[in-house]
Amino acid sequence: MMRRSTILWLLGAVAFAGSALAQSSGQIPGLPLPPPVEKELASRASNVTEVTLGKNMLAFASKFMNGKDEDEAATKKLIDGLDGVYVREYEFDKEDQYSPEEVEKLRQYFETAEWTPIVRERERHGGETTDVMMKVVNGETKGLFVLSAEPRELTIVLILGPIHPEDIGKLSHIGALSALNGLDVDTKVKVKTKIKDKKGGSE
Amino acid sequence: MEFESKDEMELNGEFEKELRQALERRPAPPRLKRRVLEEAARRRALGRRTQVLWWQRIAAAVVLAAMAGGGVLWRQADERRKGELARQQVMTALRITGRALHEVNARLTARERGE
Repeated sequence: MMRRSTILWLLGAVAFAGSALAQSSGQIPGLPLPPPVEKELASRASNVTEVTLGKNMLAFASKFMNGKDEDEAATKKLIDGLDGVYVREYEFDKEDQYSPEEVEKLRQYFETAEWTPIVRERERHGGETTDVMMKVVNGETKGLFVLSAEPRELTIVLILGPIHPEDIGKLSHIGALSALNGLDVDTKVKVKTKIKDKKGGSE
Repeated sequence: MEFESKDEMELNGEFEKELRQALERRPAPPRLKRRVLEEAARRRALGRRTQVLWWQRIAAAVVLAAMAGGGVLWRQADERRKGELARQQVMTALRITGRALHEVNARLTARERGE
């Protein structure tokens, strides 16, 4: 009996220490730690937009959304079930401010076995790459990942939680979110892989 | 009444004597007036002190209530500010997401048309 309570105490202490450590390291529950390459990219970028919202913060933000406004009501419905939102947008003054290896590192950092690639596009000479992945658990969409690399712009979007494209479609005026409806999000792995060559020809 | 006994007459005389002594005008004890005035002043001061104490208590209660009310209002305002900030962040995140997806769609559409 005594031994069991000691073990319980120890487990509690370990859990507490773990959560304290996670908080001190800047990790938001439900979201992965920022990739190591992020700081380097941010230091080179002329304009950085960073949004990291955990489940609690999303729920808090949801309280301040006007349910009567159509847009906000749709946004509220969309974010209510989400576990986290992680968005980074880096804008660069010049081209070649980041390497393809860094983009690959970013992609690999977020890509795990649960993610299903939906779009994978590589431009051989322009260096533009696009990755769209969906996290599918038991046939349900539980996450969306977008990595878009353009010569002067790098965008990372990670949305965790149940995502219903029809809900996103309702937010048509928020930066054309309806575009997600246009994407083939059929969870029966339908990968669109394009390797575009600017000089012509595609594979 | 005319036939009062000797004992009764003595008793009456004794009583009258005592009564006379009791009603006899005697000078007040020394410093009595001062003591009475001092006591009256002490009671007045005590009354004033009690009154001041009550006012102080009321003032302290008002200040505490104002502080508590101010704290609640500040907390509400702070929460509103943070909530608005969080809401704006959500909208920014969705805007960036939307733009990224739109670009992906545009690229794919362009590719399909080009093919």
